[in-house]
Amino acid sequence: MSATARSRRTRTLTRIGALTAVAALAVGCTSNTPAEESNGGGDDGGTTAVSANDDPGETVTIGFSGPEADHGWLAAINSAAREEADKYEDIEFDIAEGTNDPSAQIAHIESFISKGVDAIVLLPTDGAALTEAATEAMQAGIPVVNVDREFSNEFAARVTILGDNYGMGVSAGTYACQLVEENDLGDAVIAEIAGIDSLPLTQDRSQGFEDALAECGQDVDRRVAAEFTVESGESAASNLLQAANEIDIIWNHDDDQGVGVKAAFENADRDEFFFIGGAGSANAMRWIEAGEMEATVLYPPTQAADGIRLARLLAQDKGLSDLVQVEVPRRIVLNAPVVTADNVEQYMPLGFES
Amino acid sequence: MSLQASAVESGGQPGPGEDVPEKKGASGGGFRTRATDLLSGSAGRNLGLVIALLLLCLIGLITAGDRFANVDNMMTVLRLASVIGVVSVGMTFVITGGGIDLSVGAIVALASVWATTLATQTMASDVHWILMVSTALAVGAGCGLVNGLLIAYGRMAAFIVTLAMLAAARGLAELIADKKTQVVTVGPFLDFFRGSLLGIPRLVIIFALVAVAGWVLLNRTAYGRRTLAVGGNPEAARLAGINVKRHQTSLYVLLGVACGIAAVMLMARTTAGTSTHGTLYELDAIAAVVIGGTLLSGGRGTIVGTVFGVLIFTTLTNVFTLNNLDTSTQAVAKGAIIVIAVLLQQRVAARSTPG
Amino acid sequence: MGAAHQAPDESAGASDRQPLLEMHDIVKHFPGVKALDGIDLDVRAGEVHCLLGQNGAGKSTLIKVLAGAHQPNAGRIIWRGEEVRLPNPQAAIKLGIATIYQELDLVDGLTVAENIHLGHERRNRWGFNAARESNAAAAELLGRLGHPEVSPTTEVGRMSAAGKQIVSMARALSHDAKLIVMDEPSAVLDQEEVGRLFRVVRDLSAQGVAIVYISHRLEEIREIGNRVTVLKDGRTVATGLEAKDTPTKEVIRLMTGRSIDYVFPDRGAGAPEGDPVLEVEGLGRTGEFTGVDFTVRPGEIVGLAGMVGSGRSEILETIYGARKPTAGSVKVAGKRLRPGRVGSAMAAGIGFAPEERKSQALVLRDPIYRNVTMASLPRFSRRGFMHNAEERRAAAEHTGALDLRPNDVERAAGTLSGGNQQKVVLARWLLRECKVLLLDEPSRGVDVGARTEIYALVRSLAASGIAVVVVSSEIEEVIGLSDRVLVISDGSLVHDCPADEIDEHQVLDMVMEGEVA
Repeated sequence: MSATARSRRTRTLTRIGALTAVAALAVGCTSNTPAEESNGGGDDGGTTAVSANDDPGETVTIGFSGPEADHGWLAAINSAAREEADKYEDIEFDIAEGTNDPSAQIAHIESFISKGVDAIVLLPTDGAALTEAATEAMQAGIPVVNVDREFSNEFAARVTILGDNYGMGVSAGTYACQLVEENDLGDAVIAEIAGIDSLPLTQDRSQGFEDALAECGQDVDRRVAAEFTVESGESAASNLLQAANEIDIIWNHDDDQGVGVKAAFENADRDEFFFIGGAGSANAMRWIEAGEMEATVLYPPTQAADGIRLARLLAQDKGLSDLVQVEVPRRIVLNAPVVTADNVEQYMPLGFES
Repeated sequence: MSLQASAVESGGQPGPGEDVPEKKGASGGGFRTRATDLLSGSAGRNLGLVIALLLLCLIGLITAGDRFANVDNMMTVLRLASVIGVVSVGMTFVITGGGIDLSVGAIVALASVWATTLATQTMASDVHWILMVSTALAVGAGCGLVNGLLIAYGRMAAFIVTLAMLAAARGLAELIADKKTQVVTVGPFLDFFRGSLLGIPRLVIIFALVAVAGWVLLNRTAYGRRTLAVGGNPEAARLAGINVKRHQTSLYVLLGVACGIAAVMLMARTTAGTSTHGTLYELDAIAAVVIGGTLLSGGRGTIVGTVFGVLIFTTLTNVFTLNNLDTSTQAVAKGAIIVIAVLLQQRVAARSTPG
Repeated sequence: MGAAHQAPDESAGASDRQPLLEMHDIVKHFPGVKALDGIDLDVRAGEVHCLLGQNGAGKSTLIKVLAGAHQPNAGRIIWRGEEVRLPNPQAAIKLGIATIYQELDLVDGLTVAENIHLGHERRNRWGFNAARESNAAAAELLGRLGHPEVSPTTEVGRMSAAGKQIVSMARALSHDAKLIVMDEPSAVLDQEEVGRLFRVVRDLSAQGVAIVYISHRLEEIREIGNRVTVLKDGRTVATGLEAKDTPTKEVIRLMTGRSIDYVFPDRGAGAPEGDPVLEVEGLGRTGEFTGVDFTVRPGEIVGLAGMVGSGRSEILETIYGARKPTAGSVKVAGKRLRPGRVGSAMAAGIGFAPEERKSQALVLRDPIYRNVTMASLPRFSRRGFMHNAEERRAAAEHTGALDLRPNDVERAAGTLSGGNQQKVVLARWLLRECKVLLLDEPSRGVDVGARTEIYALVRSLAASGIAVVVVSSEIEEVIGLSDRVLVISDGSLVHDCPADEIDEHQVLDMVMEGEVA
């Protein structure tokens, strides 16, 4: 089944599944997709610079391959990429079936090369495993834009666009410090609910959090790890709440599991702490709007969309308009901003449904 | 015709862990025999687990003190144990009946997703939240029925059939939910299942009811007896007139319904239905059942043991979290405790069995 | 049985040589049980030494001690004049003691040659298994056993029980065994296969290999044994008896502690009367048997005689509904049964004691009472709930009536002797007040003393008005137990006559030839 950018096809399937439900259960249900909210990838909050870059140029073919969208954030990344490509008349978008199998992704790259696409945007399932295939593409004269997970060799990509996991931790930690200061918490009890502990990205986030807290003389008093799922978030948070009677600040790495974390707070009837999230799902944004959550640290789901834009510029031999340098830079690390009640309106379009 | 003077056999005695109540007079002597009598009952068979759980609680008490030993924490442990506990009780039946089910986690996910679609929730808020519950139960029973029919009548290996169901059910759950988390918005549903009765969370009460019902069904009914016979020797059961295929099918349906109940409980606990619910439940449930003392090869099952198995796992995680241990240390300790619990169980069971 | 009665004479010269093996005062305790309580045994090279004893007499424990699987608590083992210890099975194999267990320890998925060399694989110089060499060596061993037709590359799982036995023996020989212990090797074989087995045993003893042969069948011992040792209650009660010169009665007396006149009970006076309760008409199953017609009256015992593979067990299972017939019908008390439905047969009052008691009839781990009530669960359940006390009481009543000893229904069925297990199966059907009882090999795995008891039981059940059908591969048993004998050959009924009008030789001829002699 296609697992790429969730679009019309999947929704149709959803309806079929739902209709089967009606037949089988006589309990009835049809489409379950909540009211369409515009996914991320739109014009980013009025920061567009005036340039001729958006004017139609020669038509270029861009190949895109990413992992299976088995997680809200990945689904958002794929759909943002597709929507971005749809915006430009001069982009011929060739999107490969999402897969978690590196060898299938290598096959995608090879077919892009033989088709002779003008640029490739690649979010690898495993950076190291796809380095060779990407290098081949580069050698064949096709610029590769590497998104989110880095190749093991610098020459495998023309541009690398990265979210900043360490930066996420730093943003969360810095914001926590600010809360401690503003609320005069002294030696605050700070807890952390991490994602899957064995992943480097989790370790990066935790390191950043710890480093930033150290700057204001704080540390992580309690740390538990969940598994990026709602259920694991609930169990981890439930146990965490039992471990400490009073908590001042909780940072949860991931808003997907945040649904469970929040349920655990309600189950235990606890709300004495500041709750900071991570990733920036639409759910989290709504909670912030409703005052049920303090803040969330964005891990932009627009990396692939940015990749598509840059790939177009590369293929059309253009540069980045706001840089003096005429060329597109080699490496772009996206910022991890903190979304709070003050600026949630501005970031709402970037929030992904999960 | 008194040729068969003694039926004492030297060989072919039941292995360790067998339950052979010794009714002979105490000729051997005092303590050992009395202890043997004591251990031969149901309490004795689970003594190893009781000891393991008590040790764990002791560790919790020493290291975390009041934070461990307070009602609130106990209820949290029980609440966290309740969902996997219901699945494990169902799993005890399937394993006792000589089967295995790898699809429980996926069925929980599918049931939770199906019961939380916008349509189901809209209808539920218009009519009654019981619609969500019946949807989940029907989905669970349906998946179990498919498993059972394919295994019993389609003569396919349970391992393969349920592995296929694992993939298919989770896939279908992803399709229906579009890989998104469906938040439960039906207030009365949440209020009911997240509420308490006499200070005990309703989820815990449901778990207790399921466990008691499971114990009665397995130990006090003809259905339970047939389950043991079908698992112990299917051919003998067939020749004794038991409809083995129908019984096997019913066991998978039973487990499917348990998964449906678990899905409802999980929806209440997490306020959401999602295709990631129930991840790795198959392993957790099988581990709890086997640690509890149910034979993986079928023919002997213990609900009490299963409940202890589940509680040991949940308490373990709780004690570790209270002590702020990192996940790697937890994993190592978990492995060690599994081995210790099973060893204890075997030792005690061997003592209660002569020979 | 009536055939070949020449016992091998090689033992004559062997008698004054030093024994190959001596065991003195072997004692072995298990918690709560004294399994061996002073066993003496001596075995000479080149003899077939028979070990007799009822179940529980200590035979299994003794061979496990000899195989190094159990450690004795006291006693001495002397091998070729030197005292030895056998701390593990490897030690025994190293000395040259090989054991062929009742449940053959072969791996079904491996070939004959691979099984023979399991644990001491032939390797080439790169350390890989040398298949060709292994096959050649296996072929040579099989030839030595007089079975060159067995291919070393056949998968063992596809072989018959007899074939597997040959492989086990070849494995023993491959270890250069001086002494081979065989635990009831004939139990799963039919008469022809037993004949071939005996040929092999004689060949081996002629080559100087000593055989310790355990069997329940006394007539076999007379046919093949040189000397006999009898065990009872963990003690040696007689050793070194000459197999030829010791009367059967004497052996039975030693084994059971009492003398018995004849193992088969008297037939009742006069032929049973009344309308047939079981009517089998034109019953057939493609490829197994055809056109089987017979009837059984209440109180009558009908015996089906035939070779393994003649279709006799299949006929019984088809009557019971465990197999679906392709032709014909079965009626009980005039009512036609639904073909291929066990439930229908049971409801009509048929009970069935299958051939493989352990695998087909009993849940060995479960207590006796559960095994007894397994076919009557609805009777003890009120709205699905079991009435346990009632269940135990009813089970104990029926097992008590069958003289189960000890009559403790809480014991696991697996701890019982063969005879007692058979009683549990019979109790199951008596509890259902069955009208027709189908018995497949009722005395398999039952020792001599208990057999008499089982026979008497079957007779008394018939006397109470039950129609009984008995299938057995022991012709003597069919004739001795039944009122009427049906002879099956190649899937059809070839003869039907009263049991007292036919003898073993005639039946044997008919099962072999397929026609009336």
